Amino acid sequence: MISLAEVASQLLNGLVLGFLYALIALGFMLIIGVMGVINFSHGVLFAWGAYFAFTLRPLIGFWPALLISPFLVGIMGLILEIAVRRSYGKDPLFGLLLTSGSAMALEEIIRMIWGSIGHTFAAPSFVSGPFDFGFMPYSKYRLFLAGLSVILILLVWLFLEKTPYGAIIKAGAFDSEMVMALGIDLRRLRTIVFGMGTALAGVAGVIAAPLWSIKPTMGGEAIMPAFVVVVIGGVGSFWGSILGGLIVGIGTSISVMFMPRTSMIIMYVLMAIIILIRPRGIMGEKSILE
Amino acid sequence: MNQTISSIIRHPMFWVLLFFFFLPFLLPLIGGYTYLGTEVLIWSIFALGFNILLGYTGLPSFGHGAFFGIGAFVMGIIQLRVIQGIWIPILAGTLAGAFFGALVGLFLAKKRGIYFALLTIAFSQMFWFISWGWDSMTGGEDGLSGIGRLPVGIPGVFSIDLKDSLNFYYFVYVLFVVSAILIWIIVHSPFGRTLQAIRYNETRTKCIGYNTAVYKWTSFTVSCVFAGLAGALYALLRNAAFSDSMHWTQSGNVVMMVLLGGGMTNFFGPILGACVFIVLRDLFSSVWEHWMLVYGLLFMFVIIFLPEGILGFFKREKGQGKVFASKQ
Repeated sequence: MISLAEVASQLLNGLVLGFLYALIALGFMLIIGVMGVINFSHGVLFAWGAYFAFTLRPLIGFWPALLISPFLVGIMGLILEIAVRRSYGKDPLFGLLLTSGSAMALEEIIRMIWGSIGHTFAAPSFVSGPFDFGFMPYSKYRLFLAGLSVILILLVWLFLEKTPYGAIIKAGAFDSEMVMALGIDLRRLRTIVFGMGTALAGVAGVIAAPLWSIKPTMGGEAIMPAFVVVVIGGVGSFWGSILGGLIVGIGTSISVMFMPRTSMIIMYVLMAIIILIRPRGIMGEKSILE
Repeated sequence: MNQTISSIIRHPMFWVLLFFFFLPFLLPLIGGYTYLGTEVLIWSIFALGFNILLGYTGLPSFGHGAFFGIGAFVMGIIQLRVIQGIWIPILAGTLAGAFFGALVGLFLAKKRGIYFALLTIAFSQMFWFISWGWDSMTGGEDGLSGIGRLPVGIPGVFSIDLKDSLNFYYFVYVLFVVSAILIWIIVHSPFGRTLQAIRYNETRTKCIGYNTAVYKWTSFTVSCVFAGLAGALYALLRNAAFSDSMHWTQSGNVVMMVLLGGGMTNFFGPILGACVFIVLRDLFSSVWEHWMLVYGLLFMFVIIFLPEGILGFFKREKGQGKVFASKQ
């Protein structure tokens, strides 16, 4: 018999995981939505974020590392964009192959610098240990992670919805030719979006590091749910990504409770069901991407 | 009669097949070995079949590694658990690739572009997870070992020992010849022409009265038949099947082979791509421990500087049009 505390803690796990997946998928989706490029390097940049934090934290502490690591990853993204630029507007395979090439190269560089073995990354001391809910203890760090993810997601939302830059980005995704005709430098806009998307991968990598151990292949664990989340939520939909992330997170943790062996498969099953009912994802609309 | 012979000799297919017939004798001259030649043949089957989907139908699948892996695992499982032999396990692997391809194809038939690519990646990951997690069946992380290259022949009449690498090369060669000719016939049939029409303009093809979804589904399934066959042969070559075969990097490899050789403009592009790719990989991996870095950079280099592949590059020199024109 499964106890109430167990159910509650698994549901909470699902929620935490869901927000993390949503954060990872958000940066990934921004790049697909604006440039039509499936960035395969998103996962490895996530890993780079974690590794940067791993190196920086002993030197400058947790909070500065949390700020600087995504910044560095963002700069890597800006450099990568110079190559990716070539594939804009072409068949999606070009962007895919280009970024999968850079993913392999960047993963190998991680191995060269930090080695192939994994490292642990302890949670910062102010959120280590369990938090007592009364009827069950729960990891403080997971709560912290969920809170931080929600704050970051809200910041991205505010940026997209409430600033003129956000309006330009959305307009650029909708009709790039019109935006160019209005005299806006689309190239610079795309560069900025790419940098932002990769920086989001970096920050997700830092905050996920204490949860998953740091290893060169950790990027794969991050990017696989991102694909599913974007398909479930609908390409180009902000809230779709959040909803998709939560569905995948909670679905995964519920299946851990009943059939632990299927927990990694369940998101694909959910995806298959959802695209049968809604071919463009829950909140997807017909767009130029098809 | 003379005319038939001369038309056969003039056909590029004849020269390609002739080249591979003599390849095992040429390989030692350039420091290669038979295993490498067999690998090229197997990947050529995979890439040629994949090109029906990518080059002729214009659908960007980034998940064909899954069907290659399914072919390998089903071949191994059937041989180790059900029936000792070689033909039936190979057939089972091929059919399994086709079956799962047809199943996944149902979800993909009405998609194209980015959505198509995203879905193929997601589904291939699912198969990778299954192969990785179902260790009682697939051996999980360790892979499925002990797949044997059993002798082929007619009992009591003759028997060929496939453990010998040269014999195995010619065994794969025969299947390669059959596959290559079959794929040639497919893409030059009315069916193949319809696929090309879909690539150029799906809406118009639909308006003429073709049910494009059915054509796309069939194209996907047919390409998976050859992926399954290649996977089954690959399991025999390595005497094992590993989950790695299903990983996205393998899906990327086959796409790379098609693009690198110039499969978008030339039927034989994927074969050239497979040759160059396998040889380069062999070269890098024997020289440097961190060859994946060079390998990844090579991917980027090809996309940036050789987007139409080797054969496409020479064609462009002659002033022919671009294949992947900008869509916007």
